Amino acid sequence: MIELKNLGFRYSGAERHALDGISLTIEDGAFLGLIGSSGAGKSTLCYALSGIVPHHYRGDFYGELLVEGMDSAEHRPEEIARVLGCVFQDIDGQMVASVVEDEILFGLENFGVPREEIEGRVAEALAAAGISELRCRAISDLSGGQKQKVAIAAITALRPKIIVLDEPTGELDPRSSRRVFETLKELNEQYGVTIVVVEQKIMLLCEFAKRLAVMEEGKLILEGEVREVLQSAGRMEAAGVNIPRVTTLARALREEGLYGGRLPLNLEEGEKMMREVGLSC
Amino acid sequence: MLEFQRVCFGYESESATLKDLSFTINEGEFVALLGENGAGKSTLCRLANGLLKPSSGRVLAFGNDTGQVKTSLLARDIGFLFQNPDRQICQSSVRDEILFGLEIALDDAAARQARCDEMLQLFSLSGERDPFGMSRGERQQIALASVLARAPKLLILDEPTTGLDYRECMTIMGIIAQLHARGTTILMISHDMEIVADFAGRALVISEGRLIGDGPVRQIMRDEGLLGRASLLPAQIPALGARLGGPYAEAFSVEEMLSLILEQKGAAR
Amino acid sequence: MKGILDYVPGSSFLHRLNPLVKLLLAFVLCASCFVTGNHFIVLGVIALNLALAFSAGIFGRALKMLSSLLKLSALLFLVQIFFVREGQILLQLPLGLYITDLGLSFSLLFVLRLLAAALPLGLMLSVTQTSDIPNVLVRKLGLPYQYAFVLGTAIRFIPLFAQEMAGIMEAQTARGVEFDTKNFFKKVALLLPLCAPLLVSSVRRIEGGAISAELRGFYLRGRKSGYKDYPFALRDFGALLGGACVLALAVLF
Repeated sequence: MIELKNLGFRYSGAERHALDGISLTIEDGAFLGLIGSSGAGKSTLCYALSGIVPHHYRGDFYGELLVEGMDSAEHRPEEIARVLGCVFQDIDGQMVASVVEDEILFGLENFGVPREEIEGRVAEALAAAGISELRCRAISDLSGGQKQKVAIAAITALRPKIIVLDEPTGELDPRSSRRVFETLKELNEQYGVTIVVVEQKIMLLCEFAKRLAVMEEGKLILEGEVREVLQSAGRMEAAGVNIPRVTTLARALREEGLYGGRLPLNLEEGEKMMREVGLSC
Repeated sequence: MLEFQRVCFGYESESATLKDLSFTINEGEFVALLGENGAGKSTLCRLANGLLKPSSGRVLAFGNDTGQVKTSLLARDIGFLFQNPDRQICQSSVRDEILFGLEIALDDAAARQARCDEMLQLFSLSGERDPFGMSRGERQQIALASVLARAPKLLILDEPTTGLDYRECMTIMGIIAQLHARGTTILMISHDMEIVADFAGRALVISEGRLIGDGPVRQIMRDEGLLGRASLLPAQIPALGARLGGPYAEAFSVEEMLSLILEQKGAAR
Repeated sequence: MKGILDYVPGSSFLHRLNPLVKLLLAFVLCASCFVTGNHFIVLGVIALNLALAFSAGIFGRALKMLSSLLKLSALLFLVQIFFVREGQILLQLPLGLYITDLGLSFSLLFVLRLLAAALPLGLMLSVTQTSDIPNVLVRKLGLPYQYAFVLGTAIRFIPLFAQEMAGIMEAQTARGVEFDTKNFFKKVALLLPLCAPLLVSSVRRIEGGAISAELRGFYLRGRKSGYKDYPFALRDFGALLGGACVLALAVLF
């Protein structure tokens, strides 16, 4: 479980707070999508969750952040890393090895996992990410989607209870993006891993995430179950966040006084809404 | 103005990345280039401005065979915005960055300054800021501004909205739509079907190096089979229209769908 | 795209050697070229390199390395050959320049040495997984892991930088900068302003790498945390013996 209590952070030299009074509880087994325009503080929040803020980046830090009961101000990032793993945006930059297997081994060796356990962990992490066949391949030969899965496997091998990902599908095409999210769903449902994912693609979040948090200028403005949050679509748009087109259509129908029901968030619900509006074809 | 004649291209030793591609892009079109990562979209764009030369076949840009002309010369008429703005930006202020691109195109210093000011205004950018401290979206705007300063007749965009948030996305696309309205021809790679539906007029679909679809976006967007072969899904409103059938199958945007519904309702009353 | 120093997976004799032995072998071959004054021994080392490359299935790459090194060598050769003023004059040129027999011999040896010394290092990197080099230095030689990691990262970044530079040049060509010029000096002058974007992207990248390593317990690592053992096998001693023979030949002649 992660608890943020009135958390704030300002990078030294910056004028405004990157995080500004954030209170949030992320339960075990959650699949939380984090969305907001650039500069809203999403990446800084990821840094805070991993302890990089305030230990690596200096600045004004206030409030409290507890990761599995560990206060992030007192515990070093590598201690927090035993329960919380992170995958950051620049996928090439964060690779430390040239071959997939070595990338997975890196963390296991560092954390001193017993040798007899290592082989099993590597195989399991690769299988969970669906990339067992890539084990001996050179990382430079892989596609963007495959590299992203290697990064995820390198983290899952450490068996963290929580995985935080910062825009894992940023440079991927629709199919590879979906596959990454399918992998996350698998980890969440089969292995009970808590997932916190920053993502701009609202459609993916609507389909895969259970809860949604919307940020604006360092503040958390909306948080709750995905469909509940989508009911405040107007507020999301004002914060510069994309919403599904069926939701936009539903809002327009509301304004015309044609629809009073709940806002739909995918095609199926859009179709249902259209029938409610009384359009049978 | 851009013509591919039976173009094949293969990186060394690998099997060909593009196979027997033929199409023509006419002046004033807004063409979206669709397909999976690795399908050959970026290669196609690099062939169009001469960064790559075809292994067989011909690419004609403004009547020039790209195989015969230097890329830096073709660059006078063809603007190219890369996915990653950081590879382009090499100066320490926004103004210098825009001027750097202009230096090669315009001899007259006063004309350069004027063009630079025009761009700063169009993008509402401050010329004195240091690009390296700015956000990815702002840097993408600077990169685009310095490409546009040279007033290219054809603008090639390689995933211009990747890594941007929705607001930045709309800013960039708004400027591109403005340019298109003023007559610039656009060739744009994009994975975002909503953006393609909103802005492009024609779509080329590539799969495994072959051109599998070429037609108006409205028509391509309804061809779920074709899109499926390129592992794409249609934009939400056309997909909704297709499910509902009847008159709604023609609806393409939220506005169109809404006016259709209002029309139906009015008729019912 | 693959860089010329990237690891090529394989299971040849060379691939299976202990990384430490590969490293040693590469240095022994380099050293042999410098202790000997005999052109033929140096040529022999080059031939040996090509043969080794062939056995590891990277002959094509070795030729590519050789050809790109040759371009650099040609330039150095020209500079060297006019620099040596001693010996018998073979060819008198205008501007007071002349070529001597000693100059010719010396320059030739210089260039051959350059080729013969650079090749084994390139080959070694091609057949060794990058992380094996620091790992084996830690486990067999007791080098502190942090230093070894920096070494490994530096090696791994070479192809990444090359790739980034190629991307930057491409972007600049597309905006009309004449990188497709044939004039070498003009090209160098054009390259200078590009150091800024390369530096910025490198710093970002290194920072990202450092954070990612830290979060995966980089600072917790001790000498014993390595998973892979690097046992020496018979073939390793054989290879070392071979290397020693080459060195001995080089010293004797």
